[in-house]
Amino acid sequence: MTALRDVDLEIPEGEIHGLLGPNGAGKTTLCKILSTVLLPTSGRAEICGYDVVADTAAVRRLIGIVFGGERGLYTRLTARGNLQFWASLYGLSGAQAQLRVTTLLERLGLEQRADVRVETFSRGMKQRLHLARGLIGDPQVLILDEPTTGMDPVAAQEFRHLVRGLRAEGRTVLITTHDMAEAEAICDRVTLIDNGSILATERPSTLGTWITRYARVRADGVPPERVSSVTAALEALSGVAAVRESAPGTLVVDTAADGAAPEVLRLLLELGITDVATTRPDLAEVYLQVIGKRGMRVD
Amino acid sequence: MPDSRTGTRRPRPEVATKLPRGTTARVVLASTRNAWADLTATFTITSWTLGWLGRIIAQVVFYALIGSLLGSPDRIRYLFIGSAVLATAMEALLVVSTTTRERYSGTLPLLVAAPTRLWPVLLGRSVQWLPSGVATATVALFVVGHAFGVSFTLGDGFAAFGVLLLVAVTTYGYGLALAAVVLRFMRLRNWATNLSYTVMMLVCGVMVPLTFWPPWVQWFAQIFPLTHDLQVIRLLESGTYTAREVLLHLGLSVLVALGWYTIGALLLERLVTTGRRDGTIEFAEA
Repeated sequence: MTALRDVDLEIPEGEIHGLLGPNGAGKTTLCKILSTVLLPTSGRAEICGYDVVADTAAVRRLIGIVFGGERGLYTRLTARGNLQFWASLYGLSGAQAQLRVTTLLERLGLEQRADVRVETFSRGMKQRLHLARGLIGDPQVLILDEPTTGMDPVAAQEFRHLVRGLRAEGRTVLITTHDMAEAEAICDRVTLIDNGSILATERPSTLGTWITRYARVRADGVPPERVSSVTAALEALSGVAAVRESAPGTLVVDTAADGAAPEVLRLLLELGITDVATTRPDLAEVYLQVIGKRGMRVD
Repeated sequence: MPDSRTGTRRPRPEVATKLPRGTTARVVLASTRNAWADLTATFTITSWTLGWLGRIIAQVVFYALIGSLLGSPDRIRYLFIGSAVLATAMEALLVVSTTTRERYSGTLPLLVAAPTRLWPVLLGRSVQWLPSGVATATVALFVVGHAFGVSFTLGDGFAAFGVLLLVAVTTYGYGLALAAVVLRFMRLRNWATNLSYTVMMLVCGVMVPLTFWPPWVQWFAQIFPLTHDLQVIRLLESGTYTAREVLLHLGLSVLVALGWYTIGALLLERLVTTGRRDGTIEFAEA
């Protein structure tokens, strides 16, 4: 079985790059290769110019790996104990290790619970500890494997804020996720991957043009008895490609010509429908369109 | 890493790949702290005393009572000493279970991807079972043993305690090598320890003297440090020994254990290289 095929991807320094794809797409295989825990059978991969096969020792000093959930933590140790343990593996000792551990605990808001066993931590606190652990070696590149899986929205939002902070420090972040909102919120660029091949690498906003490069108008609060007539009126406008009712009382109008959207908006206002907005297809829609076509089929 | 915005390739940063001196020792120490945290999370003094120690004492007494059914004080003592010392070895073999947990907890790939080697981490990771194993056998031999005719002079008692420490440390070496194999072939996890435990109980002079077995089994038994250590404890308890024979057995035990530690370390490093090649170091285990 070939897990990855013809993958050609460059991630500039300081970028947050999202890796999106269904289970079995090859995201984790790529991360394992970059993490030096899997040797590629062919091709090459580099981290900051160091080959992951030939320069393994250098690559390991340059990367940090962050998992989600319980994976990768010693839950019977305290947060401080976990970080001290990993600090020793990165050759830190004495005052240097203490300083790094204390700094990370403070930075990630864990100093109050530093000496409490991790098994008592909430999901969000565990994830902050994961990130602290990933940063213990002061890596240039962080590989985040589905870090926010199972987190509540507030904790996930907080975590994303922390990840953005990494970019500000000039670190490069590769993040695998199933969460389109997350990818859209924090990634500078995303790569869609399926069946071991890259489908696209774009800015999240640019990927929307895969579905349509023209604006889309959304109208809410259309009275049920008027849906048919409003739809017919909109379809009669030139430049309108399609009109569909995405939910009861909500019409989505796809345009297919520059300048069509203002006409649609004007007509809707004339018809007394004032809850209107122009939108672009979001990443989730692109993902479903590109990858979701195969449904439940596993290739 | 190429800069796609400028199209130029930046010079790669200088990376110090050599770890500071003493890192291996510090890793073993840090791992030992991790092991101790495991033990204190598993047991309180009360639960260890009433639960674990009670269970081991009951096991030792059970075997001694079999000796009493055979109507021989010598056999009672033989079985009591054998099963008490075996308890230390049994706990040392828990290194297999603790080590393989690294896979299930998702820490194995992180350990592999860290700049240090894997073996120092796993060398210290399960040492919590050593003091526990020595303590259970100490209570059995020197406290409960009196009721079954097992007694040591003060000097021999101290020496026997030292040999119990050796049983723990030497068997741990064997267990570490076994753990390295099981970490590679996880389907062996459930029966590798039990098989080892049973074989040691049968051939190391625990229940029957070594001479009970045909010569090839006696030779086979030499690969277990327990065979040599147990023989020393029996000699100390009997009070009839020469320093030469004690030192010979102890020397053999240490040599065999060093062999196992070396094999364990090599197998663990081999696990990393083969795992990287065949993709068996997973980010998430099922």
